[in-house]
Amino acid sequence: MKALEIFGISFSYNSPVDKSTSEVTEYVLRNFSMSLEEGKIHALLGPNGAGKTTLMRIITGILRGYSGKVVIFGNKMPDNRALLSIGYAPQAISLYMPLTARENLRFFGAMANLSDEQIAKRSDDVLAQTGLTGHANKLVFAYSGGMQRRLNLAVALLHSPKLLLLDEPTVGVDPQSRHHIYETLINLNASGMTILFSTHMMEEAERICSSVTLVDRGEMVFDGAMSAIDNLENFFLEKTGRGLRDD
Amino acid sequence: MIKRQLTEFVKKEMLIMFRDKQTILLLFLMPLALIFFMTLALKEVYADKIYERQIPLVIENESKSTKANLLEKKIQSHKLIKRIDLPPGMDKDRIFEYGKAQVLIIIPKGFDEGTKPVEIYFDPVLDTGHKVAVRSLMTGLTVEVVMGIDNLDTVVANLIIEKTKKNMDIPSPLQQAVPAYAIFAMFFIAIPMSIGFLKEKNDGTLQRLFTYSVSANTIALGKIIPYYIINVVQFLLMLFVGVFIAPYIVGSSFQTGNHLWHLIPVTLVVAAATTGFGVLVAALAKTPEQSPTLAATGAILMGVLGGIMVPYFVMSFMMKKLAMISPIFWAHQAYLDVFLRDADFSTILPKLVVLSLFALACFYIAGRRIKWM
Repeated sequence: MKALEIFGISFSYNSPVDKSTSEVTEYVLRNFSMSLEEGKIHALLGPNGAGKTTLMRIITGILRGYSGKVVIFGNKMPDNRALLSIGYAPQAISLYMPLTARENLRFFGAMANLSDEQIAKRSDDVLAQTGLTGHANKLVFAYSGGMQRRLNLAVALLHSPKLLLLDEPTVGVDPQSRHHIYETLINLNASGMTILFSTHMMEEAERICSSVTLVDRGEMVFDGAMSAIDNLENFFLEKTGRGLRDD
Repeated sequence: MIKRQLTEFVKKEMLIMFRDKQTILLLFLMPLALIFFMTLALKEVYADKIYERQIPLVIENESKSTKANLLEKKIQSHKLIKRIDLPPGMDKDRIFEYGKAQVLIIIPKGFDEGTKPVEIYFDPVLDTGHKVAVRSLMTGLTVEVVMGIDNLDTVVANLIIEKTKKNMDIPSPLQQAVPAYAIFAMFFIAIPMSIGFLKEKNDGTLQRLFTYSVSANTIALGKIIPYYIINVVQFLLMLFVGVFIAPYIVGSSFQTGNHLWHLIPVTLVVAAATTGFGVLVAALAKTPEQSPTLAATGAILMGVLGGIMVPYFVMSFMMKKLAMISPIFWAHQAYLDVFLRDADFSTILPKLVVLSLFALACFYIAGRRIKWM
């Protein structure tokens, strides 16, 4: 079964969402399609500004006003069942810093409509998975960057999603936390979870992902098995060019 | 499901708020300090001007006649007057420059014969209330002496009866300060409210909520309800301090009026106006750094116009007109209606309508302008 299917998505930040601007429509995603088999770990790669985060936000229902279709486990978005089958860890640390890890998990668990008992049990599980059990009652702003990143992942895992979406889950963390996060992802995938994550860590993507989608300037430039690629970094530069992306 | 989500929103916001010392300082300690300090500072402004302060006065009796001596004796024995003797060598024309006296009375030679009137000189900085009081006192005492009346008050006792009116027009300083600074602090809720919203928008926690199929309306209510509750708590705390603690410290009493239940609709509507202002600031500000300036500027301007810093009854005519554009004015007057005037609900209702319209306008504009992403 397909965990995720995206059909011809086009999206622009200044149209049709914001009709007040007279700017020429600039598409962040243009006729973008991809699909993801259940049970895979799939890498979403692309240079800065390629449209990866926008795509994640469209899949997770944060952004609306796109053309095309997103289907999650057979449910066309927007759909509550589809949303609750997704776990999303944004690129930014999207946590409440003045709360403890456990208080954050409690709040997001309630948003995901988990019962108090489920929240308590799953909080213990995800804190153990992300190596934060001993820090569960510390305020998040006292956490290191790596711990915050792991809690960001823990929140995404709390409601036991079938599809996990991670936007650059290891950005700004030390090798130890990065290694821990990747090991967690491998274990989650081994237990049946489908994972889609964006990253600039080519070696890690090559090591743990079975398939890859390459996106550039809002368009899909490659979608296929990782085994078909000899050297991911060279392949990436071949497909997207070596020029800087400062514009 | 929505009820549970809202409950968790309230808990989360309360935890965040009460762990932020600056917010506690701003919302609770600042108004408490203002109530105490402003009550003490403004005590004179609200004082019963005639009897709470004696006016330092110099009498120059140039006549020394029997009537002049009697007048001199009557003046110096009045409780409004504190007679000052002009120190030797001091020029009476420069008496006010020395700051020793504020009134100079000269009883001239020829007073007995009615050829020369009593002269009254006032320190230019003496307020109008005291000038009127001294002038009135001198008129009465001079009439008594000239007409040979022992006490003018007993003569006019059947003509003028002074009664204490239950409904006061001028509040005591504490009576003014408690609702004034409670409302002021309630409007300051816009600062933590807007900062919280904009921070969550910037760090992505707000967007993250949408991935749990939480509706925008639930998120909006989840942001509004906790601050609404805090506003009510703020008012109750200020009222508690005003009634039970402040009187012992500042020496003024606080009366709550006979229709205490009117406080319920007034406080609920005022809290709606203040949270509406907070939502508006959150919608208009672009960054968490911008919102405190916007909120504080708005609240202070509304406070100045609305009779918080400068009491409404001492404002100029023009300022009194301008005060009406401030929701703080309507809120303050509604509370004074309850506490001091024992007003009927029909008297309070128009003020609540104005505040409700302000709240609705804020929510409407914010709803049109707010960007969740």
